[in-house]
Amino acid sequence: MAVTSAVDRATGETSEPAKRVVSPWNPANAVTASRFLTLPPLFWAIDHGYRQWATLLIIICGLLDKLDGLAARIFDCRSAFGELFDALTDAACYGFALIVCAAYGWAPVLPVVLVIMLGLANVLMRFAYARRANRAVNYKSYAMERIVAYTGYLVGFATANMEVEYFYWAFVPLMAVILIHDAKRMLVDPIPVPRTA
Amino acid sequence: MNILSDHAFHWFLMIVTGGVAAVWFVYDLSSLYRSRTADRGDPDVRDRRFGYVVGMLIGLIGVIGVLRFHGVL
Repeated sequence: MAVTSAVDRATGETSEPAKRVVSPWNPANAVTASRFLTLPPLFWAIDHGYRQWATLLIIICGLLDKLDGLAARIFDCRSAFGELFDALTDAACYGFALIVCAAYGWAPVLPVVLVIMLGLANVLMRFAYARRANRAVNYKSYAMERIVAYTGYLVGFATANMEVEYFYWAFVPLMAVILIHDAKRMLVDPIPVPRTA
Repeated sequence: MNILSDHAFHWFLMIVTGGVAAVWFVYDLSSLYRSRTADRGDPDVRDRRFGYVVGMLIGLIGVIGVLRFHGVL
């Protein structure tokens, strides 16, 4: 949440910082929410065996993920809730797509189960982190941002039937290492104080 | 019901995956290089550097995967 300082024009002194409240009903969150609209046609494409359409839909879902950050910057509506909503949408969209791919035999079951278990552990740790911070805050992890993008690709590799076993089994140990790395910072290390401008 | 021919789809996948993976590797490699003088005692800097290494690994996995897909490896 953005925090601004109010400056007295006559004296030039800075008074108490005034909090700028960002409504959750903003364009960036609308773009994030629109990603859920790709899931029913994705399911339809997988059910009918249309690999190229399924791949196109997961690409659209991934591009919308990039677009919401851009919308947040353009409309100046970044918020802690938005970041948390984005992370939860990532988990829901990619989790759903992975489960459907595994159910239809397009992705290997064991790595998908491991990926979902690791993803759930990550979501639980984020809730624990927000609870420790006593506010809606998303833990910022550069490594996790990258592995989430890889998760989107995992779905694409399954729908496109592209080196599926290789990409899935390469993913699992990498995500496990990242989760161990992030667990210490989320559960043990002190929580950084929010920055004020 | 296809959008592209199988051959075109194969090349589309290779270009998109290989291109993104290669750019990702180079971008995180340069970011890691630029951050070499940053204070490594700062947890945020350590987290960033770890992220860059992970990004490079993902890029490498992507490039190898594309080469396997094309039958080179």
